[in-house]
Amino acid sequence: MSEGSNENNYLRLGIIAAIGWLVPGGGYWLLGEYKRSIIVFCTIILTFCIGIYVGSIGVIDPVQAKPWFAAQMLNSPLVAILGETTKSGEYLSYGRPNEIGQLYTSISGLLNLLCIINSVYLGHTRKIRNSGD
Amino acid sequence: MPAGIFAILASFTSPETIRMNPQSMLWMLPLAAAIAVIYKAIKVSKIVPLRFIRETALLFGSIILFIIAAAVMLCLVAYLATE
Repeated sequence: MSEGSNENNYLRLGIIAAIGWLVPGGGYWLLGEYKRSIIVFCTIILTFCIGIYVGSIGVIDPVQAKPWFAAQMLNSPLVAILGETTKSGEYLSYGRPNEIGQLYTSISGLLNLLCIINSVYLGHTRKIRNSGD
Repeated sequence: MPAGIFAILASFTSPETIRMNPQSMLWMLPLAAAIAVIYKAIKVSKIVPLRFIRETALLFGSIILFIIAAAVMLCLVAYLATE
């Protein structure tokens, strides 16, 4: 593979990762894996929504729960907007609902990270297969 | 569209009441299902609906059985340690 082709491939993979982060399952959609994309999108959004339903949007706390917030941010950069809303401490969540809500929202973020990595890997292996390297 | 989504999300502003009882353990079920679905969506090379559902259900069942086995073991250890 030439240097230009390599650069194009890195750019393509970067776009797949970025879209996969912006919209869960978006990376698969770019690769033409529509069924996989829909399954991933529905599952991650549903898991995230269950989390904020149980614990309220107070579980997204960029001030008091930074490590959890880092995992929650993996769902989508749009979570930062929710983080801005809850930063003031107006939406408090304690105890069991908070624990369960944080678990759901963080695990959905980590599952999305897994999907992003897998979609990038899939895009890379397809490129190799197509170029015959 | 995003404004509508955020309006719905913003309505989720008060936490649910979840007590510290054995029933609260049931909250692990949707999470285990989500993990099983995503894992299988990543793992299978081609998604065929019926096969996908069967494999996901099998994985979901395995996760739950393993958690139950771990819980029984931990209860047994706690019982032996405290008796």
